[in-house]
Amino acid sequence: MTDWSFAIQIALGGFALVFILLAMLAGLVWTGARILSRIAKNKAEA
Amino acid sequence: MFGLLESGFQHLYWGNVLMLAVGGLLIYLAIAKKMEPLLLVPIGFGIILVNLPLGGMMDYQMQLESPSSGTVVSIDQEEGTRFDRDTILITLDTGPIESPVFGRMEASMVAVGDRIEEGDVVAQLITQEQTNQEEYPTTPIGLLSRIFKYGVMWQILPPLMFLCLGAMTDFGPMLANPKTLLLGAAAQFGVYLAFFLALIAGFSLPEACSIGIIGGAEGPTTIYVTSVLAPHIIGATAVACYSYMALVPVILPPIIKLLTTKEERKIYMKPQLRPVSKVEKILFPLIATIVVILFVPSSAPLMGCFMVGNLFRECGVTERLSNTAQTGLVDTLTIFLTLAIGASMPAENFLQPRTLLILVLGVVAFASAAGAGVLLAKLMNVFSKEKINPMIGAAGVSAVPMSARVVQVLGQKENPRNFLLMHAMGPNVAGAIGAAIAGGVFLGILG
Repeated sequence: MTDWSFAIQIALGGFALVFILLAMLAGLVWTGARILSRIAKNKAEA
Repeated sequence: MFGLLESGFQHLYWGNVLMLAVGGLLIYLAIAKKMEPLLLVPIGFGIILVNLPLGGMMDYQMQLESPSSGTVVSIDQEEGTRFDRDTILITLDTGPIESPVFGRMEASMVAVGDRIEEGDVVAQLITQEQTNQEEYPTTPIGLLSRIFKYGVMWQILPPLMFLCLGAMTDFGPMLANPKTLLLGAAAQFGVYLAFFLALIAGFSLPEACSIGIIGGAEGPTTIYVTSVLAPHIIGATAVACYSYMALVPVILPPIIKLLTTKEERKIYMKPQLRPVSKVEKILFPLIATIVVILFVPSSAPLMGCFMVGNLFRECGVTERLSNTAQTGLVDTLTIFLTLAIGASMPAENFLQPRTLLILVLGVVAFASAAGAGVLLAKLMNVFSKEKINPMIGAAGVSAVPMSARVVQVLGQKENPRNFLLMHAMGPNVAGAIGAAIAGGVFLGILG
């Protein structure tokens, strides 16, 4: 007998976790790129 | 006559013949149609090997224990005879002893009239079935059964394959446009839709997870998750995953055309991506590993191996390791893994209604993954000044690089100026990360 509420938790929670994690990674990549680009710019100006 | 009655002919039945044809078909598709030949040739040959009776390559030995005490009234199966699951092998005065697996009787350990106690070993069976090892432990006695047990069931070969895939993956296009990570995430919708549909179809929770992960379109991830959660359907899920990866040029275009307008398909994306520095490419595997594994510890074998392979590629000081991972190691692992996967499909296991259901759910998983990626791309265009061509969302189905190539071809058909390959590679590789995370989530909950 399937525990449907558990299944819904797995599906919704799992999908949300995947999405949030990848969104977090996207944010980190974007932020990291900007920081590195600023460092490179400062080095070039210095 | 010349021992023909002791040969495989005695045990050959229509199911074996049909599976020999299936194996032949996969080999034909691989060689004549060039569909994923590195995978389908050994899988097809493994199917042929396991369906030639008495070959022994995928045999497991199992000791059958008596579920109750009693006196042996009759031995209902002769040594060497083939039987199906739940066949009565021995009858006691207290009830029958049925076989929990299909296979053949290697030796009977009791005789009529013997008094046996509960738990006594009454017979030695030979089977090709993947059993729950806690309930029915088996010992591999064939070449491929040993490779399967110690390579696949011990979760060694799939993560190492993922290491090699990491060494072959360039995250540059994704790093140049990190929004594409969201498209890879959206494509994991196919995993969870297939998971739900599998439950509705009557599969158990672990089986539904193993079927759902087909939608991640990553062979090693599918094999890894299935080997932990539902090893008895590993053949079907692996064949579904690898076959549909080869069929991406057939599956994706109708989905894309259904969900986009001609104008949307013509949206031009500048071919030049932002240059990505070496430091970014080195930092990404490190940071992704730490972040993902802290949140989803059970994704460690997949994510860890994927990212260390990528670090070998990008750091610039481990060229030998990267080259080995991209060439000799991946080829060796492919041979072992795919032969073993092919050999996990004896007719008795594969020719069941649930196998057809798994194949249908697999294509639903792929199609819905592509659809979800396209729809999210369209939604992103509502909020974004610089429009993205929504077709690249379909490349979130992480059959790398086939999905991206399909999008490239479709894009050029609609607008010959459009060069979408590098843009599509972003969601393509992001989908691989998403699949590893989705697999880790399933394993964390049910593993």
